[in-house]
Amino acid sequence: MIEWSEQHELIRQTFRRFVEAEIKPNLRELEHGDTPPYAILRKLMATFGIDQVARARFERQIAREKEGEAGPGERAAGPEAADSAAMQLIPVIELCRYCPGMVTALGVSVGLTAAAIMSRGTLRQKERWALPLLTLETIGAWAITEPGSGSDAFGGMKSTARRDGDGGYVLNGSKTFITNGPYADTIVFICKLDEGNEPRERKVLTFVLDKDLPGLTRSRPMLKMGLHSSPTGELFLEDVRVGRERLLGETEDVPARAGAKQTFSQERAGVPAMALGIVSQCLELSVDYARTRVQFGRPIGEFQLIQLKLARMEVARMNLQNLIFRQIEMAGAGKRMTLAEASAAKLYAAQTAMDVALEAVQLFGGNGYMAEFQVEQLCRDAKVLQIYAGTDEIQVSQIARSLLRG
Amino acid sequence: MKILVCVKRVPDPETVIKLTPEGASIVTDNVKWVINPFDEIAIEEALRIKEKAAGTEVVLLSIGQKTAQEQLRTGLAMGADRAILVLTDQVVEPLAVARVIEKLVGTEKPELILMGKQAIDDDSNCAGQMVAELLGWPQATFASKVVLGGDQKGAQVTREVDGGLETLAIPLPAVVTADLRLNEPRYASLPGIMKARKKELKEIPLAELGVDVAPRTRIVKLETPPKRTGGRKVGSVQELVQVLHDEAKVI
Repeated sequence: MIEWSEQHELIRQTFRRFVEAEIKPNLRELEHGDTPPYAILRKLMATFGIDQVARARFERQIAREKEGEAGPGERAAGPEAADSAAMQLIPVIELCRYCPGMVTALGVSVGLTAAAIMSRGTLRQKERWALPLLTLETIGAWAITEPGSGSDAFGGMKSTARRDGDGGYVLNGSKTFITNGPYADTIVFICKLDEGNEPRERKVLTFVLDKDLPGLTRSRPMLKMGLHSSPTGELFLEDVRVGRERLLGETEDVPARAGAKQTFSQERAGVPAMALGIVSQCLELSVDYARTRVQFGRPIGEFQLIQLKLARMEVARMNLQNLIFRQIEMAGAGKRMTLAEASAAKLYAAQTAMDVALEAVQLFGGNGYMAEFQVEQLCRDAKVLQIYAGTDEIQVSQIARSLLRG
Repeated sequence: MKILVCVKRVPDPETVIKLTPEGASIVTDNVKWVINPFDEIAIEEALRIKEKAAGTEVVLLSIGQKTAQEQLRTGLAMGADRAILVLTDQVVEPLAVARVIEKLVGTEKPELILMGKQAIDDDSNCAGQMVAELLGWPQATFASKVVLGGDQKGAQVTREVDGGLETLAIPLPAVVTADLRLNEPRYASLPGIMKARKKELKEIPLAELGVDVAPRTRIVKLETPPKRTGGRKVGSVQELVQVLHDEAKVI
């Protein structure tokens, strides 16, 4: 793949129109957290028929599984797989030109929470929780991070499940930085089975919770540096009693650690598209500004220091776009990025988005520091890409470890 | 029934238009092109009729360069069944457009022609009326509501006219041109975009139609609207009247 196809362009134009009509005018309310993003996201799903596509795909997979075929993990290669990857990436790029937070809110619900249930849940669990999540009828949160465990997610994890002797469990613990936490209907909760053994040796279990379970409380949205359109919160569990039907997979012997790692890899793969949206928008706004802003009697685009900024932004945009083309090609070939490659792509994309957004603010000068010109928002939003889904430092160590393993 | 919808490729109304140095045309580099917004409303109306009346076929027609494929594909993605592109590099005036449509009506035999009331590039507002005249069909222009008879033999069309609404009853076949408030066009859905690729888009060179498309008019000069200047405060009603009379020359 060397360029976007005519069909891709059509998808892009259609989404851009929606974003400019439905999101751009509401950016301030979304940005100040007065309006949760879900109503617009649901409208987006319905307008483009994404909910129907998701439902149809769900039903096909369930039918296959009922016939006893391998369900998850099965990936068909071919142009349709490539198209389907492009159809997921283009909306992400277009949304991120204005509202990266919306992609995070949507991605966590549909991409992480539903995907976790789809990959390791039983048929009953998928039908009960995953389908409404995939169509965005319900909002999902994926809860792993805790006040004392961020990058060392499993090592420091204090949340526990104890057997209640009746086949069920009693859950305790607290989670933080949980995307959609304040509004989630369905929460995938990751914790350790307390059998009186050493915490580091405990089994990791995953439960699916509903928002109104007794003993579960949710905080209000936390105040953040950026990404304001994605509500983030804390969860507190105090003796929450759950039956076995809420244990993901309905067995204690599900490889939950591997599952969470697969989710990490998936989370990382989404970052280059987000970065491309931020970079494209910063570049477009910067080029326009360089053409029209006059200082010392000429447009600032005639100054070489401004040209250098624009040229570097364009290089970044090209690189990110090529990365996206690779993702689409890989989907077409039925291949998946290794964790090390996903880490490398995520590391590069996040740093690039941050660099470009900072340079855009600089290019705009005083105006760049003002909310009206939008680049400061993209700049604050870009920062999170270096932190969530594994910090830059964690990505570096993943890449290095894979190199040194030899 | 069959509905023919005419679609023109025009510059995005949000684009900043620049004139060429000679001043008789616009700079087309870096211009984003879209379906003429009134034509998009016509497509939407055709699709709504199709959704109510099973067996309806919606055929799109555009005249212009190969690039107009983009607009036709968008219309197909919205839900139209197939499209015809009459290829030409030359400027086609409203009368020539009407003659091309007349010719294709001969082969396509639609019961209804839906089109925008005007294209937002040259704002001629006459192709629809000319088609009706050439075909000898009834016309209902500036439609704000279209209700098709159950027998599909006629339609009631509400038009926005000075001072109110007028409702016409017309027999089919007929020409209806769409006004702004007729409907709100849908976005193409993702499944729609996927399906559009497989739909028929037939190209016919203009020369093959044997239609007289020789231009009757020539653009002498285009001018941008005068730049807006700041407002001005006047001291009294008398002064206002005087300024409106002497300077603005509007009273």
